[in-house]
Amino acid sequence: MDWTALRLSLELAAWTIAVLLPLAIWFGRVLAWRQFRGKALTEALLALPLVLPPTVLGYYLLVALGGASPLGALYQSITGRPLVFSFEGLLIASVIFNIPFAVQPIQRGFEAIPGEVRDAAACCGLSRWRRFWRIELPLAWPGILSALVLTFAHTLGEFGVVLMVGGSIPGETKTIAIAIYEQVQAFDTVAAGFMSAVLLLISLFAIGATYFSSARLRRPHV
Amino acid sequence: MPAGRLALLAVLWFAAPSFQVQASDAPIVAAAANMKAPLEEIAQRFRADTGCAVRLVFGSSGNLYRQIEQGAPFQVFLSADEESVFRLAASGRTEDRGVPYAMGRIVLYAPHGSPLEPDEAMDGLRRALEDGRIRRFAIANPEIAPYGRAAEEALRRRELWEHIRPTLVFGENVSQAAQFASGGSAEGGIFAYSQALAPQVSARGRYVVLPRALHEPIRQRMVLVKGAGETARRFYRYVQEPTARDVLQRYGYDLPEQ
Amino acid sequence: MSDAGLYVRLRQAAPIPLDAELACAPGEMLALVGPSGSGKSTILRAIAGLLRVREGRIACNGTVWFDASAGIDWSPQRRRVGFVFQHYALFPHLTALANVMEALLDLPAEARARRARDLLARVHLAGLEGRLPRELSGGQQQRVAVARALARRPNVLLLDEPFSAVDRATRERLYKELAELRTELSMPVVLVTHDLDEALMLADRMCVLAQGRTLQVGPPFDVLSRPASVQVARLLGVKNVFRAGILGHEPEREITWIEWRGHRLEARLQSAFPAGSQVTWAIPQGQIVLHRRDRPSRGERENPISGVVAQFVRLGENAAVTVQVGEATRPPLFLTIPLHVARRNNIDVGARVTVSLLREGIHLMPPDDGYMPAREAAARDAVAGGVR
Repeated sequence: MDWTALRLSLELAAWTIAVLLPLAIWFGRVLAWRQFRGKALTEALLALPLVLPPTVLGYYLLVALGGASPLGALYQSITGRPLVFSFEGLLIASVIFNIPFAVQPIQRGFEAIPGEVRDAAACCGLSRWRRFWRIELPLAWPGILSALVLTFAHTLGEFGVVLMVGGSIPGETKTIAIAIYEQVQAFDTVAAGFMSAVLLLISLFAIGATYFSSARLRRPHV
Repeated sequence: MPAGRLALLAVLWFAAPSFQVQASDAPIVAAAANMKAPLEEIAQRFRADTGCAVRLVFGSSGNLYRQIEQGAPFQVFLSADEESVFRLAASGRTEDRGVPYAMGRIVLYAPHGSPLEPDEAMDGLRRALEDGRIRRFAIANPEIAPYGRAAEEALRRRELWEHIRPTLVFGENVSQAAQFASGGSAEGGIFAYSQALAPQVSARGRYVVLPRALHEPIRQRMVLVKGAGETARRFYRYVQEPTARDVLQRYGYDLPEQ
Repeated sequence: MSDAGLYVRLRQAAPIPLDAELACAPGEMLALVGPSGSGKSTILRAIAGLLRVREGRIACNGTVWFDASAGIDWSPQRRRVGFVFQHYALFPHLTALANVMEALLDLPAEARARRARDLLARVHLAGLEGRLPRELSGGQQQRVAVARALARRPNVLLLDEPFSAVDRATRERLYKELAELRTELSMPVVLVTHDLDEALMLADRMCVLAQGRTLQVGPPFDVLSRPASVQVARLLGVKNVFRAGILGHEPEREITWIEWRGHRLEARLQSAFPAGSQVTWAIPQGQIVLHRRDRPSRGERENPISGVVAQFVRLGENAAVTVQVGEATRPPLFLTIPLHVARRNNIDVGARVTVSLLREGIHLMPPDDGYMPAREAAARDAVAGGVR
């Protein structure tokens, strides 16, 4: 049982959520309520990681983060290490390939709020921030929860992109999905089976907990 | 509910920094996939003898070479060939041109229940091919794995290559080839001797070590990557010392002269 | 024009064409009436600040809320308007009490709860404070919306077809409650509705809109009986609209003579129209008196017209009757008579009937393509005929 790899996976998922969720809330909200030129194109771009084969995504990420790229060079000059094969590089990749999993449910969540309700909030004297915090967020919560669960589960399971961008460096980029793969290759079926079961339980727990909590909240519609 | 989730995040947040500190301690040693079993033992002994730890990463030599070119943070590289090391040296990534540390041997393997009877001349394989009883045959990908190249060479020298080509299944590295072959999804395969010695593999089938004459010697070379630290250098030397060499020999490798 | 109350002037060509001007005094209820797409809701939203119009000016109690040329545009929060939306727009995740309290965030906590309870009690919802919107009926939700709109003591109360989503019985109850509530309200109230009867019942003044233009403003009954143009008459569902020619005026007797389908009719004096000109005239159904065999009345002397019943449709306890006057191809007269009267007078398809068109009810308007503000015409008549 590779606890380091498990902890790494959980940290990657947690950090991805921490970085991506606020961004996804912002983007999802804008896409839900604003019309602007190029909106369709923006939505298509944000959905790209959904349909792109992981290896294609991995390739482009390597190009964008590798030593020859501006971002990679910048990182290297600051830390002395390459961006690829580092946890930070993996985090960037993880945020990118999770974008549609986070943005789309949140966008739907905001879209479900009737425009009248937002108008009513304004007429009640709620400032824009208060309206967001007290009215919009609670009503969009099912979407946000969905995004959270999907991102978490997807990050735990992501394999191709992680392998390409992160390599398999123990303690740095060797996630539990990769560890399972390597254990299978090394004929250590006991370890692979155990880790897979742990992963399965964690995913089940995460999804179960969120479905349970959203059932309790029981979102009504006016 | 939102509060609970925030708390969880906060906990993980604090865990992360301590995490990074741990990660940067032990140097990373990258080795060809066929070295998994022997190198793990060597690393254990190294730790016992010196108290220092190393982290091991395995893959095909071609992949590891590419990753080092891209700046992967490996400090020692044990390749399954020499070319990869020379190319890295030429692009200035290494301290020097490295040293040979082992000579590899390949085996012809057939899992239990396969119609294939392994023998040194590979006649059994020829017969099985002619009878059409070979549907899948596993070797490592010759483009990135030296053991795959050796397998291809051996098959060519026995004039079996063209015949067997349609049935070939390529493992991404030699470990995967061994796994395909012994897992029962292929009728046989060619991979590293050291892997055949592993109990999980040897228990599942029969094999025979193929004669050196059938392929170019698999000269495995290792090298220190530029900027390697003290522990990495100690390990590099350790692999060339008697304790490590014994282990290598036990795992079926020939040793280069010193 | 005094500063108190609401003043609105809006104009734009796109995306929704508007050319409206209206005013509402404190304590007065102004109904905006018109077909769908006439811009009523747009105007309401513009008053609230939820929508920005290209040109115009909106001021309330002397404070300018919006002035396109001066670049002033206050947010809805700043304007302090109470808005009751068509589907109430209650916050679904908050109880009735919490919904009202959301409008009271400037008050400290206990004052907030107390005031919210008072408001809910005022709209007859005491005891239901803890319910979520989905646990309330349509009528109850509407009351919460009204309470919430009034919570901030708004400068203006705006209601956007607030009765359209409830059934008839509830609606009638809500009308009564709103009428009661109004007596306590000292602010201008603007109600948008497509239901003329609602406007007649609730509003002090009515503004008729079509394609974003204000066509006529005035007390509802006045507008209905004195539409300024054929278009307004049609919008208000006045069925009896016909063409006629002016024969002449008798200001001393306060009569205008018109000629219609061979008949010489006397109408109330409306001297804005010169003799010999063509006009359109309208008469509400209530001003047409049937000559009854069983109960002759004095009204029968005015403008007797006889014709043949062309259609007879039972509508509940009444009958909608059309009477052919003159050639069969010309539009008929419409009137409604109680069923028992129809039976007693043997009114049915094909029967010959005589009706009287009461002089006071005959209202003259410019021919189809003309438009004259009712106020001007009335002023002229007042001058011509002496003080009435």
